[in-house]
Amino acid sequence: MPPANARAGPQNPSLTVQTGITMAASVMARRRLLWLALVLLVLALLGTLVWLAGRYETDRAQTALERDAQDAAADIRAALARNVQSLQALQDVLPATPWSAEAALLLREHRELVHLERRDMALVVLDVAHTAYRAPVFSVYARSNVQADLGAACSAAARSAAPSYSNSYFVPQSDGLGLELLDQCVPWFAQGRQLGYVVATYALTGVLSELVGKQLSRRQHVSLTTVDGARLAQHGLPVNGARALVAHQLLDLPGNTMILRLGAERGVPDLFPNVLTGLVATMSLALIAVLVLLARDTRRRLRAEGDLADALAFRKAMEDSLVTGLRARDLSGRISYVNPAFCQMVGFAPQELLGHGAPAPYWPPELVDEYQQRQAIRLAGNTPPREGFESVFMRKNGERFTVLIFEAPLINASDEQTGWMSAVLDVSEQRRMEEVSRTGQERLQASARLAAVGEMASLLSHELNQPLAAISSYATGSLNLLQAHSPNAEQDIRLAMHRIAEQAERAGQVIKSVHNFVRRRDQLREAIAVQALLDAVMPLVALQARKLRITVRTDVQPDVPRVLCDHSMVEQVLLNLARNGMQAMDGTKFSERVLRIEACSAANGTGAEPQQPAVLFSVSDHGPGISPEVAQQLFTPFFTTKAEGMGLGLSLCRTVIEQHGGHLSYASRAGGGTVFSFTLPIEPIDAAL
Amino acid sequence: MKIPTVYVVDDDAGVRDALAWLLRSRRLLSECFESAERFEAMLGDAFEVKAPSCLLLDVRMPGGMSGLELFEKLQARNLVAAMPVIFLTGHADVATAVATVKRGAFDFCEKPFSDNALVDRVEQALVHSAQVLAQTAEQHVVAAKLQELSERERDVMRLVIDGLPNKLVADQLDISVRTVEVHRARVFEKMGVKSAVALANLLRNQTNWGE
Repeated sequence: MPPANARAGPQNPSLTVQTGITMAASVMARRRLLWLALVLLVLALLGTLVWLAGRYETDRAQTALERDAQDAAADIRAALARNVQSLQALQDVLPATPWSAEAALLLREHRELVHLERRDMALVVLDVAHTAYRAPVFSVYARSNVQADLGAACSAAARSAAPSYSNSYFVPQSDGLGLELLDQCVPWFAQGRQLGYVVATYALTGVLSELVGKQLSRRQHVSLTTVDGARLAQHGLPVNGARALVAHQLLDLPGNTMILRLGAERGVPDLFPNVLTGLVATMSLALIAVLVLLARDTRRRLRAEGDLADALAFRKAMEDSLVTGLRARDLSGRISYVNPAFCQMVGFAPQELLGHGAPAPYWPPELVDEYQQRQAIRLAGNTPPREGFESVFMRKNGERFTVLIFEAPLINASDEQTGWMSAVLDVSEQRRMEEVSRTGQERLQASARLAAVGEMASLLSHELNQPLAAISSYATGSLNLLQAHSPNAEQDIRLAMHRIAEQAERAGQVIKSVHNFVRRRDQLREAIAVQALLDAVMPLVALQARKLRITVRTDVQPDVPRVLCDHSMVEQVLLNLARNGMQAMDGTKFSERVLRIEACSAANGTGAEPQQPAVLFSVSDHGPGISPEVAQQLFTPFFTTKAEGMGLGLSLCRTVIEQHGGHLSYASRAGGGTVFSFTLPIEPIDAAL
Repeated sequence: MKIPTVYVVDDDAGVRDALAWLLRSRRLLSECFESAERFEAMLGDAFEVKAPSCLLLDVRMPGGMSGLELFEKLQARNLVAAMPVIFLTGHADVATAVATVKRGAFDFCEKPFSDNALVDRVEQALVHSAQVLAQTAEQHVVAAKLQELSERERDVMRLVIDGLPNKLVADQLDISVRTVEVHRARVFEKMGVKSAVALANLLRNQTNWGE
């Protein structure tokens, strides 16, 4: 078989490898892209989480600041309201104590107040009190210059009989700086009648530091602005920039509206200041760690996958390059796997075989029943012989061939049998070789037999020669004596005659022992099928026929009974007749080179003898026939027409057949050639039963 | 002359007896031996053929020394010339037979043989044996006579046989013609011959006569 055929399975190995490499590269690129996307997503998620955490933090700080701002505004309002009560109380104690003394006391208690005055209804100043904590605020800039708004405030207070506030105003001070001041006008009632107004002047910085500042932290900055944003007063360090948080709170007082602005600095190490951010960070770290582990695991998995693919490819290559056919069947007998060698062996494509149940396409139709039975036995759980068994498979083209099958249960990883695995070896070539060598051996045996015959003939001739020689000598001696007319001749001759008789007896013994030997073989007769006899000699006949380019046809009547014979002797007879026939056809002048061996039922015996059932064998050739001169001596021992022949063949054949109770005869064939035929008795009916 | 004897060596008693009987019917004396070993024992170590004799020897004698082996031993002892050997063969082994004849056997005979023809050959062998014996005896006599010759007589005799005249013999041996004549007369007398031709005939069969 040409080796190119064996490679027919995979079309082009290099191409496959090329495709594999490009495929692997694209898979690798896609995998990398996926990984990149995953990392980016994780980073984005982390960023978002951190940002959200920061936002949340900022929101919380902002909310806190807003609350602080509200609280601060409320504080201011409440303090101002309390101050109003104090101012009213100041009016009520009159006249028991002088107003100015009371006022001075009040100013000492409330540092935010810088100036108190009592005015009458026409806003004429009645009493004035200054705070003791600073120089009188109106010392540089006269009070009269900065009371434009006071009238409006006081009239509003008079109208509503409630305190009212003026707009704030800037008053330069003696230290070169200035103060932003606010007037609070409280109507002054006595016995249900308004006598005038008490005007309290607040320094806005004082308001912030005294009323708000104490509750604020160092990092907070509070200021008061006008509605349009101009800063009026501030307290604390100013906060600016990106880190600043600002809360605005409207501070509306009757007659005046300001905005309280509270600023705070977000702490610099605020990135992970709280549990949430920490948690997020920890989780992110854990996530990254998991990612790294996952990547490592994936790499390991990839490597294992690669190794597995390599191993699989090696296994596949191994299975493909195997000369032994492999076949797996599942438990229901369907083919689940075949390797290329098996397909090549049977000539079917894998798709024609896979999934195919019994009968398999490579079973010869005539053996399907037997194989079905065998498979049933196998599927019942019987383990086949370890040394394998022989079977006959059929190729797709119908050719039968002998295979040697080793079958074993297929056990999966969890120790369950999933089917049967078979290794199939095509042994047809070996069988043919064995056949040839057996034929050679048989030929050797035949020649050995011939040599044995020669040896026996030699021994026999010696054994017979001795007494014959002695007889001859006695006879000659006696004749000599008779011729010599010697006086004592008679006695001597009598002695010689005795000796002759003895030696003749001895020769007879030799013959008898040969006869006994032949008779012993009678015990070996047995009933044997006619076809078996022919089958036994066919290899040898076919061998010679091939050499002489002769066609051998055998024809056995189908219902022919078995014959009773010594099969080795009868085989020898058949062989001899077949050889004679073939040798008769040796030569170029015979165009029809056919040797016919036939067997049919016939009646034994000739003429008046009772007709016994028998089998008639005939061997016919298309040779030149037998000439009358040869025919006369045909069965004479040691008569031969062949250069190397012994001349025993036909005479032995006749002897053998007659010993079996049969009859050997010959006749000329109608179309030229000779037919030798002989009969053999069939096996007795009672023995057959 | 002593009585001629035919020795028969054959393992088959019938054949032996029959042959002896046959020979006796032709008035020939025979001695039978059932094996080559027996025959050899009879010969002993210092056997000499004194009477004309002949050996009928079977080639094939199962279980002992074969005829061929015995023949080789006899040949080694120089007995074959005086005692011719006729082989008896049971089956025509032509190759063996021819080989034995080439090596000095007198003849071979195939069993079953034409009996009187065999006896004829036996008689011929005995005649041959007798001739050999006679020749041997004559050689013994001549050798004895040669022993009596002196050294000088032998020298003269050698030259005389070569056909040289007395004068040349004298020149060769550096002696006088007269002395040669005396020596020559003494040689003729001692050897019992009358002429140089008779002397040469007498010495023709003598291989070694004192070089």
